[in-house]
Amino acid sequence: MTLTLSEAGQNVVAASFGRAMKRAGEALGSMSGQVIEVQTPMLKRCTAADVLAMAGGPESVVLAVYVGINGSLQGHALLLFSPADAHRLAQILLAGLLGPGELPMEESSDVLNYDELELSALQEAGNVTISAFLNELGTHLHEPVMPTPPQVVIEMAGAVLDAVLLDLVSDADQVLAAKTMFSEGGRAIDGTLFVLPRADSLRVLLDALGAIGI
Amino acid sequence: MTLTESPSLLVAGIGEMVLSSSSDAHLVAYGLGSCIALAAWDPRAKVGGLAHFMLPNGPANGGSPVKFIDTGLDNFLRAMEAKGAVLNRSTFKAAGAAAMLTVGGGLAIGKRNADAMATALTERGLTLTATALGGNAGRTVQLEVADGRFLIKSLSSVSEL
Repeated sequence: MTLTLSEAGQNVVAASFGRAMKRAGEALGSMSGQVIEVQTPMLKRCTAADVLAMAGGPESVVLAVYVGINGSLQGHALLLFSPADAHRLAQILLAGLLGPGELPMEESSDVLNYDELELSALQEAGNVTISAFLNELGTHLHEPVMPTPPQVVIEMAGAVLDAVLLDLVSDADQVLAAKTMFSEGGRAIDGTLFVLPRADSLRVLLDALGAIGI
Repeated sequence: MTLTESPSLLVAGIGEMVLSSSSDAHLVAYGLGSCIALAAWDPRAKVGGLAHFMLPNGPANGGSPVKFIDTGLDNFLRAMEAKGAVLNRSTFKAAGAAAMLTVGGGLAIGKRNADAMATALTERGLTLTATALGGNAGRTVQLEVADGRFLIKSLSSVSEL
């Protein structure tokens, strides 16, 4: 299955990601009491194999927030951070909620060690970001898109992704990958948002956004 | 344990197999989640093989030789024999088949992979002598062709089968 988009179609998809991320920033801002901006400076379609490479290879450790997508659109969404960036994002999100003395260590010696509060904040950040995109889709689709509750996993990228990737057609540009930048004040954190529709759902998704046939 | 980086490091990506009769060869599969890796080693011929299966069943013409257990296992076993291994004196060990994601329902592929592997080997008169299957942790595995050691590395531990 190959679905080719015109430049106008690609712009439509990019614009919808942009609108969704603006809303995600607003939601994260009201959650944390900070002014948070979320941008997607780079959006591309890629294959399942590219997803692993973009995640740093199968053995590189990532913090992933996973949300399954059910309903009229089927698939998976993942927001991936490096362990160090995940810590920094948690710092920003929690800074507005906690006094400075209550903040977890700025530079933990063990980047794979998160406290419950940090994991909860990151889970919510992933949930808000992914839901913003699904809501954007929902305004165009006439049937509901139903996300699962979010799950946070700190694992080797290959291990997180293999169960998700096997749903995909391996040789098609089926995955939407968006470099995602969370910024507050002068601080910026990089994440990657992957939207991985099942075989028939990419067309549904792109059609819903109005990206096909223009 | 640091996984050895050397010219004799052979990597089995998803749906791929690597085999060697070279005593300095290390056969590796990185970042297994619900996938399952089967390591075969003939102690007499000193031949080792590692296959990185993705799913219990699927079409034989799926491209990758060992993507599916039902159609790919024989490809792997025949490749072992072609390298000089005798199957009924070889050891078989398996690792992976974890459940990484608990939300979203239908991702219980790991369990199905583990069951399918045991069944498929039994049907061929072969058995697994050691396993590190299931759980919810990712694994990187390495088969040492020199001595048949099968090393399992997760984020929190390193073990040997």
